[in-house]
Amino acid sequence: MYTRDNLESKTVRELREVCALAGIIGMSRKRKDVLVNEILKRQEGIAKKKESETVTSVEATFTSTLTKPSAQFGNRASTTIRVSCGASSGDFSVVGKTVGGTMELLKEVLNVSRMSRPLVNGKQADGDYKLRSGDILEFLKPAGRKG
Amino acid sequence: MYKIPTFNITIIGLGGIGSILCEKVSRFLNFNKDVETELTLIDGDSFEHKNLERQDFISFGNKAQSKKKELLLKFKRIQIYALNQYIDEDTVSDLIHDRDIVLLAVDNHKTRMIVSDHCKTLNNVILISGGNEYVDGNVQLYIRKGGEDLTPDLCAYHPEIRTPEDKLPEEMSCKELANSDPQLYFTNLTVATIMCWMFYNAVIKDEYTKSEVYFDMSTMSLDSKVRRVK
Repeated sequence: MYTRDNLESKTVRELREVCALAGIIGMSRKRKDVLVNEILKRQEGIAKKKESETVTSVEATFTSTLTKPSAQFGNRASTTIRVSCGASSGDFSVVGKTVGGTMELLKEVLNVSRMSRPLVNGKQADGDYKLRSGDILEFLKPAGRKG
Repeated sequence: MYKIPTFNITIIGLGGIGSILCEKVSRFLNFNKDVETELTLIDGDSFEHKNLERQDFISFGNKAQSKKKELLLKFKRIQIYALNQYIDEDTVSDLIHDRDIVLLAVDNHKTRMIVSDHCKTLNNVILISGGNEYVDGNVQLYIRKGGEDLTPDLCAYHPEIRTPEDKLPEEMSCKELANSDPQLYFTNLTVATIMCWMFYNAVIKDEYTKSEVYFDMSTMSLDSKVRRVK
């Protein structure tokens, strides 16, 4: 959850990224105060919606996957992380694994080349960084050369 | 009195991607009454028989001049200029100016680096660059406004463009030019189409949050990326 102070300390560019990730469109030319208000409004809307609803089921957004349905309670699901390389992407159970280990694991699935540099949450990461829940991992695919 | 804005558009490279792209962008702008368009086509190469399977021309000869003739027959509202030359470090500043919209469809990273680095010296510019391998490719969007990067330049996330291993066309021997890697028409067409998406979003709608798009025909997939300015 963002607070107003928290959002106001961000740059306009960072706020636009928050808007993009939250699915708030049409914000490319808006002023900082408009961006802050829109993000808070979206957040409030989600919170109110949650309050007004009686929970009858839980909707997951692929952050967890039931990987071992017959296992003991508590060990049946594992958290997944969005991993991509170029146009290929998927949600994989790699929380706690290193970036280097994940690259080795997924190099054929995502067609990751040895030249690909890893980015975690948009920033360059080392091979020994341990992935945490909520991280987004991308292996940068080289640009197409021909035309 | 209201003056209709003029788009100064430069298309660099009229091969498999550029020869398709210039037709689509010209059609869109010719029938858009809200803008005037000045279009500059740049390519030092000639259209030959061997290009027929991928490239869209109605006459042989220099690609820029041939395409200019073809577009003038169809699109009367656009002012079109053709330059029979390649871009290099010496000519880039004469060819790309402040407030230009540059559509870069070349076949080497060295030209991409030269154009991107030059755009970084301008105050206002929109650069859309596309490239492909046999069945996959990507399109990048670089925008500068008021002397500030709004999206990353072409080299920021691509070391292979920052330190290119390839050469400019004018540095290549005839043998090297003749031995170019095979390409697929549909892949060129996809890059041209995604460049049109980028053009529409960035130039017409002023939306640019997702500044890189990858596609892969072999897996029928496409993914767009939000990139931070470093």
